[in-house]
Amino acid sequence: MPEYKAPLRDMQFVLHEVFKAENLWQTMPAMEEVNRELADAILEEGAKINESLVAPLSQPGHEEGVKWTDGVVTTPKGYPGAFRQLAEGGWGGLSGAPEYGGQTMPKMLVLLFEEMLYSSNIAMGLYLTLTSGAALAISSHATDELKTKFLPNMYSGKWAGAMCLTESHAGTDLGMIRTKAEPLADGSYSITGTKIFITGGDHDLTENIIHLVLAKLPDAPAGSKGISLFLVPKMKVDDDGNSGENNGVHCGSIEHKMGINASATCVMNFDGAQGYLVGEINRGLQGMFTMMNYERLSVGIQGLSAAEAAYQWSSIYARERLQSRAPSGPVNSAGAADPIIVHPDVRRMLLTQKAYVEAGRAFAVYVGKQLDESKFGSGDVKAKAEGMVELLTPIAKAFLTDKGLEGTVAGQQVFGGHGYIREWGMEQLVRDVRISQIYEGTNGIQALDLMGRKIAANGAQNLNVLIAEMREFATSAASVSGMDEFLLPLNEAVDNLESLSEFVLAQAQAGDANAIGAASVEFLHVMGFTLYTYMWAMMTRTVLSGESDQGEAFGQAKLHTARFFIQRLLPQAKGLSESIRNGSASLMDIPEEAFA
Amino acid sequence: MPQYTAPLRDINFVLKDVLNSDKHFASLASREEVSEDLMDAIISEGAKFSENVLSPLNQVGDQQGCTWSESGVTTPEGFKEAYQQYAEGGWPSMTANPQFGGQGLPNSLGLVVTEMVSSACWAWGMYTGLSQSAARLLEVYASDELQETYLEKMTSGTWGGTMCLTESHCGSDLGLLRTKAEMNADGSYNVTGTKIFISGGEHDMMENIIHLVLARVEGAPSGTKGISLFVVPKFLPDENGDVGERNGVHCGSIEHKMGIKASATCVMNFDSAKGFLVGEENRGLNAMFHMMNSARLGTALQGLSAGEASFQGALEYARDRLQMRSLSGPKNPDGPADPLIVHADVRRMLLTQKAFAEGSRAFIYWVAQLVDTFYFSGDEQARRDAEELSELLTPIAKAFVTETGLESANYGMQVFGGHGFISEWGMEQIVRDLRISTLYEGTTGIQALDLLGRKVMGSGGKQLMVFTKIIHQFCKEQKDKPGMAPFVEKLAELNAEWGDITAKLGEKAMSNADEVGAASVDYLMYSGYVSLAYMWARMASVALDGDADDAFLKAKVQTAQFYYQRLLPRTESHKLAMLNGADSVMAMPEEAFAF
Repeated sequence: MPEYKAPLRDMQFVLHEVFKAENLWQTMPAMEEVNRELADAILEEGAKINESLVAPLSQPGHEEGVKWTDGVVTTPKGYPGAFRQLAEGGWGGLSGAPEYGGQTMPKMLVLLFEEMLYSSNIAMGLYLTLTSGAALAISSHATDELKTKFLPNMYSGKWAGAMCLTESHAGTDLGMIRTKAEPLADGSYSITGTKIFITGGDHDLTENIIHLVLAKLPDAPAGSKGISLFLVPKMKVDDDGNSGENNGVHCGSIEHKMGINASATCVMNFDGAQGYLVGEINRGLQGMFTMMNYERLSVGIQGLSAAEAAYQWSSIYARERLQSRAPSGPVNSAGAADPIIVHPDVRRMLLTQKAYVEAGRAFAVYVGKQLDESKFGSGDVKAKAEGMVELLTPIAKAFLTDKGLEGTVAGQQVFGGHGYIREWGMEQLVRDVRISQIYEGTNGIQALDLMGRKIAANGAQNLNVLIAEMREFATSAASVSGMDEFLLPLNEAVDNLESLSEFVLAQAQAGDANAIGAASVEFLHVMGFTLYTYMWAMMTRTVLSGESDQGEAFGQAKLHTARFFIQRLLPQAKGLSESIRNGSASLMDIPEEAFA
Repeated sequence: MPQYTAPLRDINFVLKDVLNSDKHFASLASREEVSEDLMDAIISEGAKFSENVLSPLNQVGDQQGCTWSESGVTTPEGFKEAYQQYAEGGWPSMTANPQFGGQGLPNSLGLVVTEMVSSACWAWGMYTGLSQSAARLLEVYASDELQETYLEKMTSGTWGGTMCLTESHCGSDLGLLRTKAEMNADGSYNVTGTKIFISGGEHDMMENIIHLVLARVEGAPSGTKGISLFVVPKFLPDENGDVGERNGVHCGSIEHKMGIKASATCVMNFDSAKGFLVGEENRGLNAMFHMMNSARLGTALQGLSAGEASFQGALEYARDRLQMRSLSGPKNPDGPADPLIVHADVRRMLLTQKAFAEGSRAFIYWVAQLVDTFYFSGDEQARRDAEELSELLTPIAKAFVTETGLESANYGMQVFGGHGFISEWGMEQIVRDLRISTLYEGTTGIQALDLLGRKVMGSGGKQLMVFTKIIHQFCKEQKDKPGMAPFVEKLAELNAEWGDITAKLGEKAMSNADEVGAASVDYLMYSGYVSLAYMWARMASVALDGDADDAFLKAKVQTAQFYYQRLLPRTESHKLAMLNGADSVMAMPEEAFAF
């Protein structure tokens, strides 16, 4: 299995040169102390610990998996030690609240650390990022007392966190959950029920695990309006903050899965466990939603990360593996054959990966920027960013993971038969990334969220803001010489996006209740392609206007890859759009029985 | 784990109503007669065996995998017993030459049984499938003596067979292979070398394994023109033709793979193993290539059969699982939620699976008929046409059906939500097992080069025209038929466009050698979508002739509409991408890939 090398240069290009992060941070009082130097130091240290500590545990973890014995979950060899090192390095508290020991780093930066973490080892990364996610929900909605008691130990990695939503009969449809919360005399609650698919629900990495559990009070309204959120520690915590006896929280079993074998996916039994309300009664889902934007971006980054690893390894393989001669004549006459990178179709697969990964990285940072502006910004900037976060989050989750699977499959394909063999590591990437299209809301749910809630529900208000931004960019970048070949397709893609959304909304307004559901996934992809065109245009503008210090060859590679994206990948938006314009009838007319 | 149920109604619809199997079978001069009763009996017995015996082995096989030891490879529990039952039922000999005990039935009928076997348990099916492919090769290329020695036992399924091509440094590029063959005084050869990725190279299901090995005779020219083909048995036959002395062939290890874990993928060491030349020296690849078409069609079947199995699992789940309400109002008001199948996007995934499975079934069965015609028709012109057409369509079938099969299997998993990722539900196994199909028997990229480079450009477009003429004729005949207009208009448009694209690429290729390779996979996918559009139009036409109240036939027309409206637009994307040319693919220097 090849080694992972953090793509620091491209990260710096995106962060500093394309998005000029330092200028932005200077406008935010909470970010005052963050500058380029600090950001680069964090990226470099992050690269080191991921390359040398986290990545080497990936393949052994895949082979060994997690074990469950009589209720005790054991992670693979080396995992507890590595988690401790990550925690001690402060990597768990990067974006935490400062008053409880967090470092308040901007998401734009933290997400690049997450990218490295997941590229190295998604399974290991999940233990850390779910802890951060749980801490975020606590810091946003819990009482000061709970924050003081739990957050410092979560930021320091002494304790881990887990999110407990799904039950066996309620995945997408959380309104149906049955876990009960009964009020106790001291104001806390007794939680009883069974949750499934709980990532990191139990493990041996930390002395305690803080669960955030969705449950219903006895008199709660039915459906999603009767759900409350509770903090339920695995081990009871005394007033001095020490973990004590078990709190009635047990892992009933772990799942055998396609991938992320080193991540414990647990059935969690809560048996009269003591829990503390987070936020208001019956407003538990709202508490989840704030955090969900971060979580969904984080899952999207898993797609990006796996695709980056696949690209790295397949591009190395393609330069080493000798097989057949180039169509235009031998380029390695002294060797038995040419390296397979001479073959146009191998290049097509490599460039497809590269074009998606680099646009995906830029897009992730772009969404991170919106998250930062919505959290730390003010006035119009904040308001606009809040709208963008809503609009872009489902795309970040679904498009990055769909392209993540595509990228890893292409990487595996470059290896030929060896791609199918475990020791080469490519099949693990495909298997590990596959879950990212499913959890944290399937990609179908993301698409419905985008088309229904984020676009149709507000009359495309946020979409129009984005469209205006892209047009404005195209106008302002037109003066940069050489930009035509990127701006023309951008303008065309934006026009298409606009008319396509108008088409779908008109169908819906005309009374077709299925118009949105029938268009949603393809629409999300059209929008993804449009946004990637925007990202490529921004990146090429940076290069062509001389604002990049990464050197001539790096800049040329950007232009080549952008061209490939525009000419060979963007045409997919045409087919997708045509399919949407053919309407919902062919999906809905066929009776259920006739499927068989 | 989904229980497989053979889609008999659709199989019969395609065979009898769309492809007129009775007329087809009657046109084959040198094959046994196939009455409708016989055909029905074979299909229903094949279905029973697949459903009852093989389907239950699929998950066990994945969990147990194969085990290697010094003494050999052990297949999972139940594999050997199932094979004994299969061999006793006479299934291995179905399409074999009667001269060696075969039943002489047409391959296109045998393929139907293979589809069912494959859907139920692909890994198991590989052992018998590869054995029969090896036997078919020997029927055509081996000397009488070799045929007499091996074919009876191989035909009955007592002995198995393999194809040993790949070495660690050569997969797609066989010209690089190093395995040596030295001639002995008695005319036999000593074969020495190491082969990898040999499916069924060693196992415990049959008493002997007959390897077909590519190797170089001393002094042979370098490259692909110096490769010869040898029969190398695991046990040398004794004077009675039974298993005799052990030959110098051993399995060094088996691979740990993403899927098809119950299929032993072996490293095979040949250590001065005794081998016998098949055909002429240095002409080994010709024999292999000849057989490769049927092997490729067999691999195409993996895409279809996995797509079908995944569709069955997903459909059942989508009708059972209650989650959320339909956007157009509750459909199951008494339950806590509606079944998944009410949701438009779930329907999109299921219909995509259905359209690919049924379209691919019709397509593959049709190609199989063409192969029958090529081998066994008495009509010389029909044979030649069938040869041209099946050569053109085979790489399309292999790559397009496996690529879309993978898409379909991923949708099947997606319909299950989180449960799709969990092993016990069986949906992720289908994806893992199927993933190999776009890699082995020539990767998708290799099929695409074969299609556009060798077949289309190599024949100056002639091979393509054989097909576009058929489509043109079909459109002419069907254009005024009520209900057919939407299909025929689009199909005729694409058919003409296919020719235009080919001409444009041909022009570009004259000035740039990389154009073919840069366009190839998009071209292949484009060709696949048009080919399936043709099959869907044929099916729609037949369905429109039937009883208007027949729910199955109605669903056929509706699925055809879905295919035309929601999947066929992808041709536009492939067209634009390939016509944008090779420059953006080739311009970036190799070193820049490291950025």
